[in-house]
Amino acid sequence: MRPGFGGSAIPVGIDVQVESIDSISEVNMDFTMTLYLRHYWKDERLSFPSRNNQSRTFDSRLVKKIWVPDVFFVHSKRSFIHDTTMENIMLRVYPDGNILYSVRVTVTALCSMDFSRFPLDTQNCSLELESYAYNENDLMLYWKNGNDSLRTDEIVLSQFFIEHFHASSGLAFYSSTGWYNRLFINFILRRHIFFFMLQTYFPTMLMVVLSWVSFWIDRRAVPARVSLGITTVLTMSTIITGVSSSMPQVSYVKAVDIYLWTSFLFVFLSVIEYAAVNYCTTLEEMRKMRRGKIPSTFNASQAMAFDGCYHDNDIELTPFPRMASTLASNPLTTQSQNSDLRPPEGTRLRRQRSVRENVDLLVNNSYMIDSYSRLAFPLSYLLFNTVYWSMYS
Amino acid sequence: MDAVRMPYLNRTLLLLLFLLLFLLLGQIRTAEARKHGQRVRRWTGTEETQKHGASLPKKPPDVTKSRKTKTEHLLKVDDHDFTMRPAFGGPPIPVGVDVQVESLDSISEVDMDFTMTLYLRHYWKDERLSFSSSTNKSMTFDGRLVKKIWVPDVFFVHSKRSFIHDTTTDNIMLRVFPDGHVLYSLRVTVTAACNMDFSRFPLDSQTCSLELESYAYTDEDLMLYWKSGDESLSTDDRISLSQFLIQKFHTTSRLAFYSSTGWYNRLYINFTLRRHIFFFLLQTYFPATLMVMLSWVSFWIDRRAVPARVSLGITTVLTMSTIITGVNASMPRVSYIKAVDIYLWVSFVFVFLSVLEYAAVNYLSTVQDRRERKMRERARSQSLPCTCSISQTQTMTMMDGTYSEADTNSLAGYTEEPMVPEDEPEEKQKAPEKSEHMVVHLSMSSESAGIKKRKSLRALNIIQNTHAIDKYSRMIFPGSYIFFNLIYWSVYC
Repeated sequence: MRPGFGGSAIPVGIDVQVESIDSISEVNMDFTMTLYLRHYWKDERLSFPSRNNQSRTFDSRLVKKIWVPDVFFVHSKRSFIHDTTMENIMLRVYPDGNILYSVRVTVTALCSMDFSRFPLDTQNCSLELESYAYNENDLMLYWKNGNDSLRTDEIVLSQFFIEHFHASSGLAFYSSTGWYNRLFINFILRRHIFFFMLQTYFPTMLMVVLSWVSFWIDRRAVPARVSLGITTVLTMSTIITGVSSSMPQVSYVKAVDIYLWTSFLFVFLSVIEYAAVNYCTTLEEMRKMRRGKIPSTFNASQAMAFDGCYHDNDIELTPFPRMASTLASNPLTTQSQNSDLRPPEGTRLRRQRSVRENVDLLVNNSYMIDSYSRLAFPLSYLLFNTVYWSMYS
Repeated sequence: MDAVRMPYLNRTLLLLLFLLLFLLLGQIRTAEARKHGQRVRRWTGTEETQKHGASLPKKPPDVTKSRKTKTEHLLKVDDHDFTMRPAFGGPPIPVGVDVQVESLDSISEVDMDFTMTLYLRHYWKDERLSFSSSTNKSMTFDGRLVKKIWVPDVFFVHSKRSFIHDTTTDNIMLRVFPDGHVLYSLRVTVTAACNMDFSRFPLDSQTCSLELESYAYTDEDLMLYWKSGDESLSTDDRISLSQFLIQKFHTTSRLAFYSSTGWYNRLYINFTLRRHIFFFLLQTYFPATLMVMLSWVSFWIDRRAVPARVSLGITTVLTMSTIITGVNASMPRVSYIKAVDIYLWVSFVFVFLSVLEYAAVNYLSTVQDRRERKMRERARSQSLPCTCSISQTQTMTMMDGTYSEADTNSLAGYTEEPMVPEDEPEEKQKAPEKSEHMVVHLSMSSESAGIKKRKSLRALNIIQNTHAIDKYSRMIFPGSYIFFNLIYWSVYC
């Protein structure tokens, strides 16, 4: 029976020294902590006469014979009192009946983590102590020295920085059993970004930059540009899978997800861009063939048959196609014999162009897609980065 | 008959009654004993009844329960309260500790801990356990006596998990000497935390320590000390780790202060581990170096082989990325850069730069060709002779899957037609497939100087089909990578 049974509630002071935070697991959303938990109370039945007012220390075997508070950890998954070589329990009894009861416990407790800003996030976790049997009419749990009751050894975590440890207390209500005193050990953890910079952000940036290399390669090198594009897509996909494997499967978007998927989109668009360039170039050739600007013996599909390479510089690269003077048979070519390099449609640059003409322009000059992409892609990626980092830092 | 049986019946009845009474008496006595806080001696049943003087016929003595060899009686375990330490209330009891490390089971970087199996021996003196002996020989007991006497409560500070082995029985030994000296030995496996610094990984050395301390007794009650100083720590000869070399085992001792409970004696087992580099050389450094060298192959391939050079470049990038991911999978997520990270990322940058170099070469070649073509066109429109053709099939078979702009100044489609009216004997010869000339191109603006220049340029361009950037890269890339390696290995070794 507890001291003062039937009478007023017995006050039990709590003092905690945190030895270490062993691990914080995102996948399981829990943390493991080892701590020295000390209880202070007074039991008149254990007072003994003493001349020099010295306390007596006992180990765990006396614990089974006397009353001790039954503190447990709310929301804990696993916990145990270390028992090597003997149970790590200490009991110190003072002559007036004050008792100091200390145990060394490792507890794995639940911590709801919010990953919407992962890996630039801060997690707030807490360990809760409560008496299992005695509600506040029987046992009053309180922090012995207020906020100083919570002490920590030098705790070093590899992935986190511990911002703040503080103690608080509250009352918890259970509808079937009443009000209980609950003590909280709260701590705030801030994640170190460096590891993720090196592991995730940096490779992603490099892959996006690599995909831009494709715009500088001659557009006639079809296998080269296509394999460049899809290999960067493959690498991005591998990076994304690698990050997701160490994360819980949450139902909202994380900050790192946004970055990875936007970069994936950029890389994807570079492949689509080349498909557009290639298609437009083919159309250009067909049109020119139809207009007779290239000899009918030129077989575009055959030219591409070897490896998709084109064989004629002039047809593709020059915006102002000129023909050899020998093709005099074709009336249209005479226009292009001007050596002053004027475009056949002289007023093309001056008047307003309709949509169809714009599309025609694009198709006829598919090289322009590349030229614009060389500027558009880097600039928009830079803009995205500026927005992202200013928002999350 | 009935009259005779009656008295016998009565006697047996009386006997039964006496037995019952006696049993009742025994129960009452034990109940009284319990009330006064004494332990009920369940083990010594027969002796107890004898002590309490009940007149019962003696049963023949059970030899397995011989009184002389009864531990409790010999050691007078039941006479003392062993929940209190020896010399309770008096001076602190000195407890000597001796450790023999059996093995270092594993060292985990991800969890930052190590697992060790050791024989832990305690030596102290407990007067209450002294017994008279003529031969001065000690008595050895196993784990079952431990629960009844006082033993020091040593624990391992910063341990995550630990246990005393219990196969086939608790691996505990207790040896009591006649004068009360006790040797208490147990076999423990403990997993303890070790702060590791990975800034020089994998060329690093880690110093870990295992700490022993009494849980309950401060230095006023229990003094822990190493029994033989530095020789208290002995290790099996066969301790070896696959990844580490154990450099040194040594012991120290200190006092530790806890603000709420006081000063405690703490003993340390320190050891230094040096990592074997060979595994990482084979697994990480060697593949990374090979990938970088592979990327240099691209500079020696003709720059007209576009798909080849591009896919070589990006496949080496992909492989480097895979190596990097592989290394980080088995490492903790630290917030500083490790030595292996520096090496891998610099190699990655080299490989990346080789891809960029080819993009530059390609782009510049395209620009150059366009310029030359324009000039050729100008020359052609001015009716200058032009030797610029080669059959495209030739180039195609020469370099599979390439275009060669230098070659195809020739207007691929109309090589045949325009050339014929030009009446250039040279070109006629070139038109058939057997021609093996490389491209020759001209960029002329004036006629007279043109002819001379033409010839020289033709010669020059025939030989030089490589771009200047490639030539320089063939020397710069290997040179700078070797330089980086020299610096890296001299800094970290």
